[in-house]
Amino acid sequence: MDSSIAPQISRRDLFRVGGVGAAGLSLAALTGCSVFGSGSGGSSATTFTIAYFGDQKSATALQKRLAPKIRSIDKSITLSINAVNGTDWNDFFSKILTQIAAGSPPDIVGVPTEGLQLLAEKGLAIPLDDYVTKDMSKLKSYFADVHPSLVEAMMYKGHLYELPVDFNAGNMFFDTTLFQRAGVAAPAPDWTFDDFEAAGRKIATLPNVNAFDWVVRLWGSWTSFMYANGGNLLEEGKYAGGDWLWNTAYAGDSAAKGRQGGWKWGQPTANSAAVVESLEYMIELKKAGLSPSPDVGGGGTLQGLFSANRIGMAIGGGFWAGGLHDAGMKNGSFDVQYFPTGKVQRQLLGTGGYAIFKSSKKKDLAWEIVKLLIEPESFDIIYPGNTTTSARRSLSTAARYKTTGPEHWQTFYDSLSDVDVAPIPAPPIYNALATSLNQRTTQAISTGNAKSALDGMQRDLESALASKS
Amino acid sequence: MTTQLAVRPRARAAAPPKRSKKARRGEAVFGYAMIALSVVFVGVFTFLPILASLGLSFFSWDILSRPKFVGLQNYGRLLHDGPVLHSFVTTIVLAIVIVVLQIVIGLGLAVLVQQRRHKATQTVFRTVFYLPLLASTASVAIFMGYLFDQKFGVINYYLGLVGSGDVPWLTSSFGASVTIVLVTVWQQVGFTFVLISAALTSLPRDILEAAAVDGAGPIRTLARIKLPLISPTLFFATVVGLINAMQLFDQPFIMTKGGPGSATTTTVMVIYQSAFNNLQFGYGSAISIVLLLLILLVTGIQFAASRKVVFYQ
Repeated sequence: MDSSIAPQISRRDLFRVGGVGAAGLSLAALTGCSVFGSGSGGSSATTFTIAYFGDQKSATALQKRLAPKIRSIDKSITLSINAVNGTDWNDFFSKILTQIAAGSPPDIVGVPTEGLQLLAEKGLAIPLDDYVTKDMSKLKSYFADVHPSLVEAMMYKGHLYELPVDFNAGNMFFDTTLFQRAGVAAPAPDWTFDDFEAAGRKIATLPNVNAFDWVVRLWGSWTSFMYANGGNLLEEGKYAGGDWLWNTAYAGDSAAKGRQGGWKWGQPTANSAAVVESLEYMIELKKAGLSPSPDVGGGGTLQGLFSANRIGMAIGGGFWAGGLHDAGMKNGSFDVQYFPTGKVQRQLLGTGGYAIFKSSKKKDLAWEIVKLLIEPESFDIIYPGNTTTSARRSLSTAARYKTTGPEHWQTFYDSLSDVDVAPIPAPPIYNALATSLNQRTTQAISTGNAKSALDGMQRDLESALASKS
Repeated sequence: MTTQLAVRPRARAAAPPKRSKKARRGEAVFGYAMIALSVVFVGVFTFLPILASLGLSFFSWDILSRPKFVGLQNYGRLLHDGPVLHSFVTTIVLAIVIVVLQIVIGLGLAVLVQQRRHKATQTVFRTVFYLPLLASTASVAIFMGYLFDQKFGVINYYLGLVGSGDVPWLTSSFGASVTIVLVTVWQQVGFTFVLISAALTSLPRDILEAAAVDGAGPIRTLARIKLPLISPTLFFATVVGLINAMQLFDQPFIMTKGGPGSATTTTVMVIYQSAFNNLQFGYGSAISIVLLLLILLVTGIQFAASRKVVFYQ
């Protein structure tokens, strides 16, 4: 129906009349999965709310660490960091959206690549262009420290929505103990799919060990193989614009050459030859006994198995350094290398930062806090223990990885400059894409028919795009 | 004398004392006050949301923008939506298998436990069988997900000890469906068991003794006497079990995410995905209304069929 003639009812009216309409959904059929009424409370005049992906215990600890810094900006402000649990970013972001719908949006929220375009498309977050332009002189050192590929991934339609705080590129971790036991040399930076397979075949001979393991998700899944095979789930393009930033913050930086106004995800290409080949490759790995059936989402189990020396190789980013160390792996028992080269040497990445909500009544304060959060000193407060990679190159140091490892920690940040990198395809219909990716991947693995599954995914994405329009 | 006893007039019931109109009115008000809380609770948390959901099903709404009235468009789309229709089939098949197993296993366990002579033994078994029902479904699903994991699950470990290869419990279509059914039945069977146990315990002893005197064995007594007598309880367990099973969500959502493919994607999962993942709340509402109607239809069929197979004393 044409929206111009369709009756328009405000969201609040609908809630009022319908008695929390969406809750009706849950009570009509969704017994036990209501997400409304979480009581986050929203933000009052003196409370500044940040939504945090994690458990409340960590959120409270972070709140205690950050509160003094926030008070240094405004003593009257009480910081409230609300934890939002989720199995993955998809889950987290769904819950954030529900909080927004329930009328209690936070002032700022940690938003990864997965949710950036949806937030921007819906007008829920404000562009930071004016703030950045105003404070450009203060931000020069920040931009000089942050690779432009991360900044470009935070742009949408020419506007900058977040300042990158952290990122993770899809590198390949390997268990050095298992490599030694299997008589396999550590991979070189330019290793190929053939090298990967050859190493895998030797490691697979070890008892109770999987040569390679992975999980079904958008970041660091078979999608890494897809990128290295020159494919993508959606047509790649870039929005025009962004010169206001590139010409000032990155003037003269060769890495910023050709950067535009953010990644533009076009029509679905899920059943293109390069994508089908990639998923078929995963099926072949399983048939060859080099990889088991993957789990869906998360990645905690994968890290657990890796740290128990049950996996030879797995896709991971900088966050694996802290994760494996916490799981008991000693520095030296694992290492990292770029993702192997297929038709091309290309890696995917995801980045994160903080978006300011349009509904926030304290936008200026929010901007000050965003600037506080990107300061080098804030990084370890927010992410203690190498649980992600800082967007600032200056924070990638030998001292940082001295305890946790890996030996080739430079791989994390050098991925941005030495290898072609592109963000995961996260259009405004990201949630539908993630749901379809989960279902169609498991379908392909269980049936052994990648083409049929990806034809289904193509239909899913076309349908999601049609619904959106 | 026998005749006299048979026709002896019943003692005249004592006439209730006459109460004033005011007292009767006060009593009525008290009665209404007593049920008011339940009525308000059910109204606010059940009927109103159902009505709201019905209303929402005529809108296109992503919770972030303004809702747009689309009439019956969501219902029309549903009729041609293959994955959604498939989820209904999956739900019905899983629900039927779950309920049949729940009734059969629940009945079997109840009969076996009733044969224990010691009350204490019966109590122990009742507690043990009911215990899983007290655990949170999500916790059970997470726990079972680890047990049934193909790579490191305990189940495959023990199967490996007897020479079996790794069974793809959660990563093959059939295996995932079987695992979901097993886990659900394991957790829910305690409810059916307790219901049937109570019904068996309350059977009139004189009838059972008469059957024993007439030479009926345990199986004949069960088939011809006990089952007909507890048929109202079995009917109740079937109706409640089917309504619950048709809202299956936690186990597939946590253990398989509806996969592999859409092998274990139930209708409530589709509702969740449509509404909370894809932000199509109107469409999700339309699916939930259709599910509600389907549950009502199935329940209606059960009630119609019950006239022939359920015996009320």
